[in-house]
Amino acid sequence: MKIYLKSLAMHLKGELEYRVNFILSFLSQILVFFTYYFVILALFTKFDHIKGFSLYEVLLCFSIIQFGFSFNEVFARGIDRFDRLIIEGGFDRLLLRPRNIILQVLCSDSDFVKVSRLIQAIIVLLVAVFHLPITWNFWKVLTLILMLFSACAIFFSIFLAAASYCFFTVQGLEVRNVFTDGGKHMAQYPIGVFSKGFVFFFTFIIPYAFVNYYPLLYFLGRKESIFYALSPLLVFLYIIPSILLFYWGMKRYTSVGS
Amino acid sequence: MKAYFTYFKLKFITGLQYRSAAWAGIATQFFFGFVYIMVYIAFYESGGDNLPMELPQVVTYLWLNQALLALVNQFSRDQELFKLIREGGISYELARPKNLYFMWYFKVIGQRLADVTLRFFPLVLVTSLLPYPYHFGLPFSLPHFLLFLLSLGMGTLLVAALTVFYPIITLLTMNEKGIVNFFITMADILSGIVVPIPFFPKFLQILSSCLPFQYISDLPFRLYVGNLSLQEGVIGIFLQFFWVVFLIFLGNCLMKKNLTRVVVQGG
Repeated sequence: MKIYLKSLAMHLKGELEYRVNFILSFLSQILVFFTYYFVILALFTKFDHIKGFSLYEVLLCFSIIQFGFSFNEVFARGIDRFDRLIIEGGFDRLLLRPRNIILQVLCSDSDFVKVSRLIQAIIVLLVAVFHLPITWNFWKVLTLILMLFSACAIFFSIFLAAASYCFFTVQGLEVRNVFTDGGKHMAQYPIGVFSKGFVFFFTFIIPYAFVNYYPLLYFLGRKESIFYALSPLLVFLYIIPSILLFYWGMKRYTSVGS
Repeated sequence: MKAYFTYFKLKFITGLQYRSAAWAGIATQFFFGFVYIMVYIAFYESGGDNLPMELPQVVTYLWLNQALLALVNQFSRDQELFKLIREGGISYELARPKNLYFMWYFKVIGQRLADVTLRFFPLVLVTSLLPYPYHFGLPFSLPHFLLFLLSLGMGTLLVAALTVFYPIITLLTMNEKGIVNFFITMADILSGIVVPIPFFPKFLQILSSCLPFQYISDLPFRLYVGNLSLQEGVIGIFLQFFWVVFLIFLGNCLMKKNLTRVVVQGG
């Protein structure tokens, strides 16, 4: 953990060396984030609700997914850009060091510009929560926290699974976008609004529904069962096969040289 | 003229070589098309008053968007041109006895046409076989279709003029981030690629009708689905024509001005 924090600090220092560039990129990220947000805002000027979910309920859903995604973009950038490590041969260097390999990959890169998205996601979350009539209690707070953590966990697992794939293909995978960006786009809305097949896929194959749909139902008071509140915990199980996949891929790794 | 056309042909033919990239692109666009459409279906099933488009129109619009994305999108910039500027290759370009602006302009068009040629047919073919509500519909009427073709052609000329604009700005700023990113993001929203223009709040609709971006793809697509009358279409095409001429003129002037101050950074 100490090593990881140290490497984060170093990446941050490195990025701040190019101060103007950093600020400009930071600002343009705010705009990019706004385009995602704009879709929802624009559509809600014409429609009152989407299958019974109001604007703020959708925004809550949206902000949780965005939070998890940008969290990984900042803090797990090394896994996100893993194909570069393989292509440039940097992975060989990591293998020589006597430390946990996933930790080292995490330390290899980070992207602080994306902090702007993280902040925006938190702002949207707060705005949404304050506009919703919620009767707070201990379980609701816990659900919200679990949702945020599980959002980080799910993208971490997907990033890691996609990174494992690089061991076989060397090149990064475009299909990956379908699971990250495509899944992200769908999970911005409460997943229950989509057709059954997709709900099934995003519940059991890639468990976005446990991140911000089932717990959301509990949070909004539509379901009483405590299982809905605790369902995000299932997402954490998803990390295990991703890690196994990574180690399995690593066994078959052959360097590309350079 | 012939020299410029050769640039176009060169880019077009090389562009056609990247077929496996195109297949990956098709698969991704197909999936995203589905995702976008499902969002709209969910909204339409929830109902609303005064909806600006009918669901089949929106679906066809979104499929057109995906099928023609390589041609009309504004977020992909021509990396090659930026590289010329960053790495000093521009000095070779300047040595050629031709107008630099039009060399770039025709390269951009060639590249975009090649990309779209590879992606367009499979997507249209498959989506037009899909059942309702995902069905890609036929054009509203024959005149609408003809106007669609004409305005799509004009839209291509327009998007190329805008694409060339960004490297010209970069000649001055030397950094393609910052201002160019800002433009591209604005263009992205206001072109209707994210959300079709009729779904915009009123003031944004007025704002975007004063800017060139919505005339690239929103105008032709809405003509295709019959969301615009023929009369509106003809007016739109005149506006497209105005923007093409204006932007090419502006681009040329700006380029001449920026080239007097250009610094070649090694290379």
